[in-house]
Amino acid sequence: MSITIDSTRFGTIEIPSHAVVEFPTGLIGLGGSRYVLIARDENSPFVWLHSVDDASLALAVTNPFQFFPEYEVELSDSEAERIGITDPADADVYVTVRAAETLEDFTVNLRAPILISRGRGHQVINESEAAPVRAPLFVAATAEQAA
Amino acid sequence: MLILTRHAGQKIMLGDDITVHVMEIVGNNVRLGVEAPKRLPVYREEIWAAVKEENQASATADADAIPQTPAAKAA
Repeated sequence: MSITIDSTRFGTIEIPSHAVVEFPTGLIGLGGSRYVLIARDENSPFVWLHSVDDASLALAVTNPFQFFPEYEVELSDSEAERIGITDPADADVYVTVRAAETLEDFTVNLRAPILISRGRGHQVINESEAAPVRAPLFVAATAEQAA
Repeated sequence: MLILTRHAGQKIMLGDDITVHVMEIVGNNVRLGVEAPKRLPVYREEIWAAVKEENQASATADADAIPQTPAAKAA
Protein backbone atom coordinates (compact mmCIF):
# COMPACT_ATOMS: atom_id res chain seq x y z
CA MET A 1 0.00 0.00 0.00
CA SER A 2 1.28 3.41 -0.87
CA ILE A 3 0.03 6.94 -0.98
CA THR A 4 0.85 9.68 -3.46
CA ILE A 5 1.62 13.30 -2.64
CA ASP A 6 1.67 15.87 -5.45
CA SER A 7 4.13 18.06 -3.61
CA THR A 8 4.41 21.67 -4.74
CA ARG A 9 8.11 21.52 -3.87
CA PHE A 10 9.16 18.06 -4.96
CA GLY A 11 6.63 16.91 -7.54
CA THR A 12 4.86 13.57 -7.27
CA ILE A 13 6.11 11.43 -4.39
CA GLU A 14 5.08 7.85 -3.60
CA ILE A 15 5.22 6.96 0.07
CA PRO A 16 4.59 3.55 1.65
CA SER A 17 1.55 3.87 3.95
CA HIS A 18 3.49 2.65 6.96
CA ALA A 19 5.77 5.69 6.70
CA VAL A 20 2.92 8.05 7.56
CA VAL A 21 3.29 9.65 10.99
CA GLU A 22 0.11 10.65 12.84
CA PHE A 23 0.25 13.87 14.85
CA PRO A 24 -2.79 13.67 17.17
CA THR A 25 -2.67 17.41 17.92
CA GLY A 26 -0.90 18.50 14.74
CA LEU A 27 2.04 20.88 14.78
CA ILE A 28 1.70 24.11 16.73
CA GLY A 29 -0.01 26.73 14.60
CA LEU A 30 -0.09 24.60 11.45
CA GLY A 31 -2.84 22.49 9.97
CA GLY A 32 -2.75 18.82 9.13
CA SER A 33 -2.09 15.85 11.31
CA ARG A 34 -0.53 13.33 8.92
CA TYR A 35 3.04 13.86 7.82
CA VAL A 36 5.88 11.89 6.24
CA LEU A 37 9.62 12.40 6.53
CA ILE A 38 11.28 12.93 3.17
CA ALA A 39 15.02 12.93 2.59
CA ARG A 40 16.03 14.35 -0.78
CA ASP A 41 19.59 13.20 -0.27
CA GLU A 42 20.42 10.58 2.31
CA ASN A 43 23.68 12.37 3.12
CA SER A 44 22.00 15.67 3.88
CA PRO A 45 21.59 16.67 7.51
CA PHE A 46 18.25 18.21 6.55
CA VAL A 47 15.01 16.39 5.85
CA TRP A 48 11.45 17.52 5.24
CA LEU A 49 8.39 16.80 7.31
CA HIS A 50 5.81 16.85 4.53
CA SER A 51 2.08 17.05 5.09
CA VAL A 52 0.11 14.22 3.52
CA ASP A 53 -3.04 16.34 3.34
CA ASP A 54 -1.62 19.66 2.12
CA ALA A 55 0.62 19.39 -0.93
CA SER A 56 2.20 22.78 -0.24
CA LEU A 57 2.98 22.22 3.45
CA ALA A 58 6.43 20.91 4.34
CA LEU A 59 8.73 21.85 7.20
CA ALA A 60 12.49 21.77 6.94
CA VAL A 61 13.78 19.80 9.93
CA THR A 62 17.01 18.28 11.15
CA ASN A 63 18.32 15.91 13.80
CA PRO A 64 19.57 18.28 16.53
CA PHE A 65 22.15 15.89 17.98
CA GLN A 66 24.45 16.08 14.98
CA PHE A 67 24.79 19.84 15.55
CA PHE A 68 24.32 19.97 19.34
CA PRO A 69 25.78 16.78 20.86
CA GLU A 70 24.91 18.01 24.36
CA TYR A 71 21.29 18.71 23.47
CA GLU A 72 18.70 17.38 25.91
CA VAL A 73 14.93 17.20 25.82
CA GLU A 74 13.30 17.54 29.24
CA LEU A 75 9.57 16.96 29.40
CA SER A 76 7.23 18.07 32.15
CA ASP A 77 5.26 15.23 33.74
CA SER A 78 2.03 16.43 32.14
CA GLU A 79 3.64 16.63 28.69
CA ALA A 80 5.15 13.15 29.06
CA GLU A 81 1.76 11.81 30.12
CA ARG A 82 0.02 13.55 27.23
CA ILE A 83 2.24 12.04 24.57
CA GLY A 84 2.89 8.71 26.26
CA ILE A 85 6.67 9.05 25.95
CA THR A 86 8.48 9.27 29.28
CA ASP A 87 12.00 9.03 27.91
CA PRO A 88 12.75 11.16 24.82
CA ALA A 89 15.56 8.70 24.06
CA ASP A 90 12.80 6.29 22.95
CA ALA A 91 11.80 8.66 20.15
CA ASP A 92 13.38 10.10 17.03
CA VAL A 93 13.96 13.80 17.62
CA TYR A 94 13.75 16.55 15.01
CA VAL A 95 13.85 20.33 15.24
CA THR A 96 12.49 22.86 12.76
CA VAL A 97 14.96 24.81 10.63
CA ARG A 98 14.66 28.53 9.89
CA ALA A 99 16.55 28.95 6.63
CA ALA A 100 18.32 32.19 5.70
CA GLU A 101 20.36 33.66 2.85
CA THR A 102 23.57 32.31 4.30
CA LEU A 103 24.19 29.22 6.38
CA GLU A 104 25.67 31.32 9.17
CA ASP A 105 22.19 32.70 9.75
CA PHE A 106 20.34 29.37 9.82
CA THR A 107 18.68 28.71 13.18
CA VAL A 108 16.77 25.78 14.68
CA ASN A 109 14.09 25.70 17.35
CA LEU A 110 15.51 23.70 20.25
CA ARG A 111 12.62 24.77 22.48
CA ALA A 112 9.93 22.83 20.64
CA PRO A 113 11.36 19.55 19.30
CA ILE A 114 9.26 17.07 17.36
CA LEU A 115 9.32 13.55 18.81
CA ILE A 116 8.38 10.62 16.61
CA SER A 117 7.86 7.14 18.00
CA ARG A 118 6.01 4.14 16.60
CA GLY A 119 4.22 6.07 13.89
CA ARG A 120 3.10 8.90 16.13
CA GLY A 121 4.49 12.40 16.33
CA HIS A 122 4.24 15.16 18.92
CA GLN A 123 5.68 18.63 19.08
CA VAL A 124 6.59 19.25 22.71
CA ILE A 125 7.88 22.09 24.84
CA ASN A 126 11.41 21.38 26.05
CA GLU A 127 11.80 22.42 29.69
CA SER A 128 15.60 22.41 29.45
CA GLU A 129 17.11 25.85 30.06
CA ALA A 130 19.59 25.46 27.20
CA ALA A 131 16.93 25.33 24.52
CA PRO A 132 16.41 28.62 22.67
CA VAL A 133 13.73 29.09 20.04
CA ARG A 134 16.37 30.30 17.57
CA ALA A 135 19.68 28.54 18.09
CA PRO A 136 22.28 29.34 15.41
CA LEU A 137 23.19 26.10 13.62
CA PHE A 138 26.44 27.13 12.09
CA VAL A 139 28.00 28.49 15.29
CA ALA A 140 27.29 25.15 16.90
CA ALA A 141 28.83 23.26 13.98
CA THR A 142 32.02 25.32 13.95
CA ALA A 143 32.38 25.22 17.72
CA GLU A 144 32.07 21.46 17.51
CA GLN A 145 34.73 21.20 14.79
CA ALA A 146 37.08 23.44 16.77
CA ALA A 147 36.65 21.41 19.95
CA MET B 1 -14.05 38.55 23.95
CA LEU B 2 -15.88 37.36 27.03
CA ILE B 3 -14.67 39.14 30.14
CA LEU B 4 -15.36 37.70 33.60
CA THR B 5 -14.45 38.93 37.07
CA ARG B 6 -13.22 36.17 39.39
CA HIS B 7 -11.77 36.10 42.88
CA ALA B 8 -8.95 33.91 44.11
CA GLY B 9 -10.33 30.45 44.71
CA GLN B 10 -12.98 30.75 41.99
CA LYS B 11 -12.98 28.87 38.70
CA ILE B 12 -14.06 29.13 35.09
CA MET B 13 -15.43 26.19 33.11
CA LEU B 14 -14.69 25.90 29.38
CA GLY B 15 -17.34 23.41 28.35
CA ASP B 16 -17.65 20.39 30.62
CA ASP B 17 -14.04 19.23 30.51
CA ILE B 18 -11.77 22.21 31.05
CA THR B 19 -11.46 24.02 34.37
CA VAL B 20 -9.36 27.14 34.94
CA HIS B 21 -8.71 27.80 38.64
CA VAL B 22 -7.73 31.24 39.86
CA MET B 23 -5.32 30.02 42.53
CA GLU B 24 -3.73 33.18 43.86
CA ILE B 25 -3.39 36.86 43.02
CA VAL B 26 -0.23 38.64 44.14
CA GLY B 27 0.38 42.14 42.81
CA ASN B 28 0.45 41.91 39.00
CA ASN B 29 0.65 38.13 38.98
CA VAL B 30 -2.21 35.68 38.78
CA ARG B 31 -1.51 32.01 39.40
CA LEU B 32 -3.81 29.82 37.35
CA GLY B 33 -4.40 26.10 37.45
CA VAL B 34 -5.66 24.41 34.30
CA GLU B 35 -7.40 21.06 34.39
CA ALA B 36 -7.95 19.71 30.91
CA PRO B 37 -8.20 16.31 29.23
CA LYS B 38 -4.67 14.99 28.97
CA ARG B 39 -4.73 14.84 25.15
CA LEU B 40 -5.08 18.63 25.13
CA PRO B 41 -1.79 20.52 25.24
CA VAL B 42 -1.68 23.67 27.38
CA TYR B 43 0.84 26.41 26.51
CA ARG B 44 1.92 29.77 27.81
CA GLU B 45 0.76 32.03 24.99
CA GLU B 46 4.14 33.64 24.30
CA ILE B 47 5.78 30.22 23.87
CA TRP B 48 2.93 29.01 21.66
CA ALA B 49 3.28 32.15 19.48
CA ALA B 50 7.07 31.82 19.22
CA VAL B 51 6.85 28.14 18.23
CA LYS B 52 4.10 28.85 15.71
CA GLU B 53 6.33 31.51 14.14
CA GLU B 54 9.28 29.10 13.85
CA ASN B 55 7.04 26.34 12.44
CA GLN B 56 5.74 28.71 9.81
CA ALA B 57 9.27 29.90 9.02
CA SER B 58 10.47 26.34 8.50
CA ALA B 59 7.47 25.72 6.24
CA THR B 60 8.14 28.72 4.01
CA ALA B 61 11.60 27.58 2.91
CA ASP B 62 11.89 26.70 -0.76
CA ALA B 63 13.40 23.34 -1.56
CA ASP B 64 16.51 25.11 -2.82
CA ALA B 65 16.98 27.10 0.37
CA ILE B 66 17.97 23.96 2.25
CA PRO B 67 21.42 22.54 1.47
CA GLN B 68 21.36 18.93 0.37
CA THR B 69 24.80 17.63 1.18
CA PRO B 70 27.10 17.83 4.19
CA ALA B 71 29.68 19.48 1.93
CA ALA B 72 27.28 22.32 1.28
CA LYS B 73 27.13 22.88 5.03
CA ALA B 74 30.66 24.20 5.07
CA ALA B 75 30.21 26.38 1.97
